[in-house]
Amino acid sequence: MIEELIGIVPVFATYYLVALGHGFFEKSGVLNLAIDGLFVLGATIAFALAAYTLNPWIGVIGSSIVCSLFGVFIAYVATKLPVSHGALGLSLMFLGYGLSLVVGIPVSNYVYAKALNPSTYTVPATDTVLVVLLASSILIGVVLHYVLDRTKLGAMIKASGEDPHVAEALGVDVVRTRVIAGVIGYALIGLGSAYFTLVWRSGWDPKIYLLGHGWIAFAISLAAGRQPILTMLTASLFAGLVRHQYVVQVALGLSTEIAKMLPFIVALASMTLFYVTPFKRKMASPKSLGKPYYREERTV
Amino acid sequence: MSAFLSNKVFSNISKFSREVKPLVSLRGITKKFPGVVALDNVSLDIYPGEILALLGENGAGKSTLVKILYGLYTPDKGEVIVYGEKTKILSPRHAVSKGIVLVPQTPHLIDSLSVLENLIIGLREYGVFARVDLIEDRVREIALSIGIELDPRKPVATLSYTQKQLVSIIRALLLKARVLLVDEATTLLPSREKEKFYTLFRRFTEGGGSVVLITHKVVEALRVADRIAVLKSGRLVGVIDRDRARVEDVRKLMFGKTVTNNLQVRLKRTEHIDGGKRVLEVMGLWVSRWFGDYVVRGVSLSVRRGEVVGIAGIAGNGQEELVQAIVGLVKPVRGSIRLLGVDVTGKGVELTRKLGLGYIPDIPMRYGVSIDNTIEENIAALLVRGKIIKWRRVNEFTSKLIREYDVKAPHPRVPVKVLSGGNLMKVLVSRELAIARSLLVAHNPTRALDEVSARLVRRMIREKAVGEGVGVLLVSEDLDEVLELSDRILVINSGRIVGVFDANRVERERIEELMVA
Amino acid sequence: MVYLVVLRRTKPLPYASILVPVISILLGVLLSSIILYLLASIPPLALFNLIVRSFTSPTVLKDTLILTLIGLSLVIAFKASIWNIGAEGQFHMGMLVATWIALFTPIASIPVLAKITCILAGAVAGALWAILAGVLRAYVGLDEVPVTLMLNYVAYYVLDVLVYGPWRGRFTYGYIRTDEIPENLWLTLIPGTTAHVEVLATVLIVGLAIWFMFKYTIVGLRLRILGSNPEFLRASGVNVKHMVVLALGLSGAIAGMVGALYLLGDTHRVSYPVEAQTAGYGYLGILVAWLSMLDVRGLPLAAYVVSSLRVTGITMQIAGLGGTAIVFLFMGSVLLTYTVAKVFSEYTIVIRR
Ligand SMILES: Nc1ncnc2c1ncn2[C@@H]1O[C@H](COP(=O)(O)OP(=O)(O)O)[C@@H](O)[C@H]1O
Ligand SMILES: [Mg+2]
Repeated sequence: MIEELIGIVPVFATYYLVALGHGFFEKSGVLNLAIDGLFVLGATIAFALAAYTLNPWIGVIGSSIVCSLFGVFIAYVATKLPVSHGALGLSLMFLGYGLSLVVGIPVSNYVYAKALNPSTYTVPATDTVLVVLLASSILIGVVLHYVLDRTKLGAMIKASGEDPHVAEALGVDVVRTRVIAGVIGYALIGLGSAYFTLVWRSGWDPKIYLLGHGWIAFAISLAAGRQPILTMLTASLFAGLVRHQYVVQVALGLSTEIAKMLPFIVALASMTLFYVTPFKRKMASPKSLGKPYYREERTV
Repeated sequence: MSAFLSNKVFSNISKFSREVKPLVSLRGITKKFPGVVALDNVSLDIYPGEILALLGENGAGKSTLVKILYGLYTPDKGEVIVYGEKTKILSPRHAVSKGIVLVPQTPHLIDSLSVLENLIIGLREYGVFARVDLIEDRVREIALSIGIELDPRKPVATLSYTQKQLVSIIRALLLKARVLLVDEATTLLPSREKEKFYTLFRRFTEGGGSVVLITHKVVEALRVADRIAVLKSGRLVGVIDRDRARVEDVRKLMFGKTVTNNLQVRLKRTEHIDGGKRVLEVMGLWVSRWFGDYVVRGVSLSVRRGEVVGIAGIAGNGQEELVQAIVGLVKPVRGSIRLLGVDVTGKGVELTRKLGLGYIPDIPMRYGVSIDNTIEENIAALLVRGKIIKWRRVNEFTSKLIREYDVKAPHPRVPVKVLSGGNLMKVLVSRELAIARSLLVAHNPTRALDEVSARLVRRMIREKAVGEGVGVLLVSEDLDEVLELSDRILVINSGRIVGVFDANRVERERIEELMVA
Repeated sequence: MVYLVVLRRTKPLPYASILVPVISILLGVLLSSIILYLLASIPPLALFNLIVRSFTSPTVLKDTLILTLIGLSLVIAFKASIWNIGAEGQFHMGMLVATWIALFTPIASIPVLAKITCILAGAVAGALWAILAGVLRAYVGLDEVPVTLMLNYVAYYVLDVLVYGPWRGRFTYGYIRTDEIPENLWLTLIPGTTAHVEVLATVLIVGLAIWFMFKYTIVGLRLRILGSNPEFLRASGVNVKHMVVLALGLSGAIAGMVGALYLLGDTHRVSYPVEAQTAGYGYLGILVAWLSMLDVRGLPLAAYVVSSLRVTGITMQIAGLGGTAIVFLFMGSVLLTYTVAKVFSEYTIVIRR
């Protein structure tokens, strides 16, 4: 029992951090459709750095840094220019897939040629490490909750997400606020995606761009109304489901393909549930999420 | 702390002799938008200790001017001089740091955030990780000093319109404003509250600050302002000291000569309304905005053929929701709506439109037009009945409307977004007047129009009722408009109808009292 | 300090509808070649050579036709501001139903009718798959982007389940795949190319129909208004929910049709795992639609350019990189530069100091 719960931790940490980062960023009003591509890129960069340096933590840090640079880019472009957030996000999704293949395939060959054992470059999954992983993820969630709920930064982020025009008129530098949200959000997405290759999967798979874990994190965040504390709940749910896919599969007598489909169906179902229940009213999306922002927009 | 709390009083302020240096000067400011020159080479000084009224009809460029001063808009040409120093005001943050603060007509506040959150985000002295409640004491103190009571931890959504405007004032004081830009912020307030604001402004200027007061009520401006500046079509056409200003002169500056004379043409009335069939019947209507929060509370009313029923009230007393429920845009919680005897309650706009309803919405850009589409397409969207569009016919019809209503547009195939606010409104109003067959619901139909166009639209509405027997439900924040057009007047307050008056026996004071009570 | 201010142009940029796509393609290709040079040491000149050669490759026509159709599908949705990212899934659902008819129903043996049935059934399947997302968007309020995207994965796996299990063929030489569909269902090659007559015919018919719909019908006008101001559409008495479902349904129908055509013309069977075999037309179509500036008349050209880039990616095997990586890079960079470049058709940037 304990063993099984511990086994969930890497999956939970990955999903939770990615969903947290995503939700935090979206609170500022930027629609984040780049998530899956940059998740894949972060996971690949973590793998590459870890394999070359044989130090998983360099991989973790490197992935966070690269992803947060992308966060800055998205936040800046989406706010300074009246662009379509959707198109911007999707373009970076494709770039993320492409870059991760360009970066990952040679590293993968290198690992193969050197016959590197994954244990030399991944995070050892000892109980202590996992407990620290769990505790630190939860702590990050609590801190984000505090920031959003109690601090000036939180108010600035929420204001930028609700109505950037009004936020600006109230004295908020919307560009800067969203860039901050982008840095923090994407640093967490980078962190979570690094855990994906270095803790959860212990390795890199050339079909990584087909897995769609970023989208599952997207759904986890949405189904919790982007609230850090509630996200803990939805993330554990999905972590359990994905981790014990095999158990579920056998228990319900499903084939492997159906089991692979399951997280997506549950994701769609939970988003739907979230939207048809009164939760939606309580935790509605930021009003200006994804709306192109033009400072001198016409109102009359 | 702020200018108004300090005791320093400038002497001889009403004369504005040239020894006093202006706080802020505008030099040759020009600002163009697609299709309109909003400001054309405007130069203006704002002196310490004065209330400067900025007058001009709708679309004259008043808001554009103060938005430039507040850093919301970038001027195309010209410069701004603040405290003797040439300054490019880059953002509201920047403006605030120079002591310039804007109080707009529709409150610039985020509804879902608390008052404290709304206020702290503009305060530069706090770091990003500062706790929001750090400013609570200061906010309460300022609120008390101007004599209002409110819980600053509550979300702004729970405040009334007046309270929201007061929060904006608190904000200005919290930010230690020296120049207060008031853009029609008092226009919609009930008269008693309005006086309170004027007293506040006076105290503020006595402390050495200055107020730019935008309004289109000439008489009021003459009463409270020290100087009056008049904008017309983006040009500054006159700056007059209060002592020398007469109402007629100011009016003439604002509108040009022609209008002033024919302001008082009597409109025709439909005879024997009482015998007419009821076009619209609303019974015990309740509409809620959020769970359990009713904004329309048991409204019953009816409109007969050829009758104009006016609903007077202060903005935000449930008018928007009432109108939207009748049109079919929102579902009421309880009660019934009948149009031409057909039950249309909560059945959507498809049905009401089919029954010949015309709708002039309060927010034209949202419910009235699609600005990326052409004028022609905006007309065709409601006019064409069949599946195939015959563009030649649509084009002819559109050209006719453009001529009749004097819409300033090069041709019917330009996108609506290149039209100025007033012309956009004319396209919308002309279309709805053309398609209304049973009932016309008009919500602030002349708000964005200049005086001449407003006259035209009012006359057309009346003619629609008298000539074609269409019932009209006129909801307007402009009491004069309601009094002028209506056969019957209902007063709405807090979502309830609190008074019914016949056009022949109106008591203006009584109506105003009911609106405010 | 330099400060950038974005302002709306008082007059729109002349020739924007040509300049924007051309510039974004050039800059996008440049960006990918820089990335490939820095990260994979691929010499830009070799890459450019390959691209130029791809434009005259005999395989380009086939992709151009298919992508024009997918582009048509997406233009319908995008004009209505419905961001259908699910053409990939709708395509596969069309393929699924066509496979079923071709392999397991008696209709397959009837000449002509069999083909038409497959194509129409593909359209219906694609439409239904898209309508699922449409209903979630219209009646539940879920954003269509994540929904259509996730439905792509579900579509892959549904097809996988069938091919792995009940549909696995008898004559597959150890591969996990279905049998070949009967030869009378195969499409007719246009001589000298790899493209098919039936696909060309579909492009012409569907293209004309959609152009007419947007220009001369009230439905077309309503779809366009849905794209710019759905609130106004609602206030003018149109059921916006129906329009959303309709937009997705039409869009999905065309994508599903293409899935069927692709099966009949190209693959003749479905191989496992589907997600690893896909040509990714559903995603490439997004780029095509945007590059056409959502103008039906611009679609063939946009499709031609994107096809050539795809061919480049596929032929490129330097440094052991699969074609997929390069196609993704091209798509990402061109879409990125397009997204930014498009801003300048309506806005300018002025520098304030
Ligand atoms: N952001 C904007 N974009 C386009 N046109 C605008 C914008 N703001 C104002 N306008 C136009 O500029 C003119 C002046 O508007 P405004 O300054 O709001 O007038 P006023 O406040 O005097 O009624 C109007 O024709 C209006 O439609
Ligand atoms: Mg104004």
